[in-house]
Amino acid sequence: MTDPTIHDQTQSLVQELRRGVIILAVLSQLHQEQYGYSLVKRLEEQGMQIDQGTLYPLLRRLEDQNLLQSDWRLDTSRPRRYYILSDLGKKVLQEMAAEWSRIKSTVDNLLFES
Amino acid sequence: MNILNVYLDETRQNLPLNNRDDIIAEIRSVLMDMIEERNPNPGSSPDEATIKAVLSEFGSPRKVARQFSTHQHLIGPQLFPVYLQVLKIVLIVVAALNVLGVIVAIISGSTADNGFLITTLETIGGLTGSLFTAFGAVTLSFALIERFAPQQWQAEIEEEWSPDELKKVEDKKRVSIPELAVEITLGIVFIILLNVYLDRIGIYYLGDTGWVSAPILNDNVLRYIPWITATVVLDIALNLYLIRKGFWDGGTTVAKVIINVFKIAVLAAIIIGPTIITINPAAWEALNLEITLTAERFSLLTNTVLNVLLGLAIFGLIVDSIKQLIQHLTQKVEPGFNNNIA
Repeated sequence: MTDPTIHDQTQSLVQELRRGVIILAVLSQLHQEQYGYSLVKRLEEQGMQIDQGTLYPLLRRLEDQNLLQSDWRLDTSRPRRYYILSDLGKKVLQEMAAEWSRIKSTVDNLLFES
Repeated sequence: MNILNVYLDETRQNLPLNNRDDIIAEIRSVLMDMIEERNPNPGSSPDEATIKAVLSEFGSPRKVARQFSTHQHLIGPQLFPVYLQVLKIVLIVVAALNVLGVIVAIISGSTADNGFLITTLETIGGLTGSLFTAFGAVTLSFALIERFAPQQWQAEIEEEWSPDELKKVEDKKRVSIPELAVEITLGIVFIILLNVYLDRIGIYYLGDTGWVSAPILNDNVLRYIPWITATVVLDIALNLYLIRKGFWDGGTTVAKVIINVFKIAVLAAIIIGPTIITINPAAWEALNLEITLTAERFSLLTNTVLNVLLGLAIFGLIVDSIKQLIQHLTQKVEPGFNNNIA
């Protein structure tokens, strides 16, 4: 049994940790266009739980920053908004992925090197 | 599906005005996707339990809407330290003025008749009222600044900085945020004084029924109030714009000069127009000063003094305008000059 206070502390710190990574996760799945819920499913299938309340505002922010493009599709069973990486978004994602590898190996070293 | 519509309506009301419909359309589309997938009997319309489960997973309307709104701070963390500083100064000044008023009242003996308790209560009441007004004015002006400035500050904090910037700051006429914040606050305080408390400016004396005040400004002043208010509002607007922009440029300099010309016109109109001070003879006599001066003569005198002060203010505005223009014109040469050296 873990101590409930330790559990709570861990939860809130993990949330903070995930917040930064979520942008990377979202961008990584938008090489092909996705609508909101299909994106959530894709992320969840690969083990990335995401609070939907955060996802949609995030998508809008990324679009405002010109990293994503979106448009409404009316030809599906119901109108859906589809998102896809813009050219800028692709370049930014590439940079971020490289940075992520560096961070990951540095932190791995810090944590597990003995 | 009724409960879904209520949920969306609730959310809609808490969303920022500009793209509500688009956001709601997207949330609806997402919720419908979720409901459709979780429906235990695909093909038939979903039951309320399914809808409720999806909605509670998605979050309360308020929480959902809050995530979409960009402006959550009345006064954000970047501005808050300056806000506290200005607030402290303004509150101390206002409290000091109140204490001063009480001391004057005690020395002049006017408190004796009212009794200690009533005087104390009146003092506390007056102090509380004016402190709240001051607090409101400072907070309002900073809320306005917050509304107009934050994006630029955000950018400034995040952008790369090198010591060379310091030279640029010197070159450009960078605005001082605390200075402008104080100006905006004073502007708002002035507007409140002008439009709400103007009749408080007067002669205070002890009459038969107790403490009486006779306003010294007459009805002629009323016609100027909208104009004076307008100049101050323009000043506030320009200051807010400057905070957003960060430095003086051609447009803002010209705007400042135009506002100054407008102010000069208003002041000149007051000088040329009918006198705005009338000393109430009864009040004047009640003061019982040891001077052989009639209320009429004293009115004339104060009006003359006022006109001289207004004249000086006009002079100050002209000097300020010329200074602004010269600074701007000499400014234009410098960046090119520096580039040549580099």
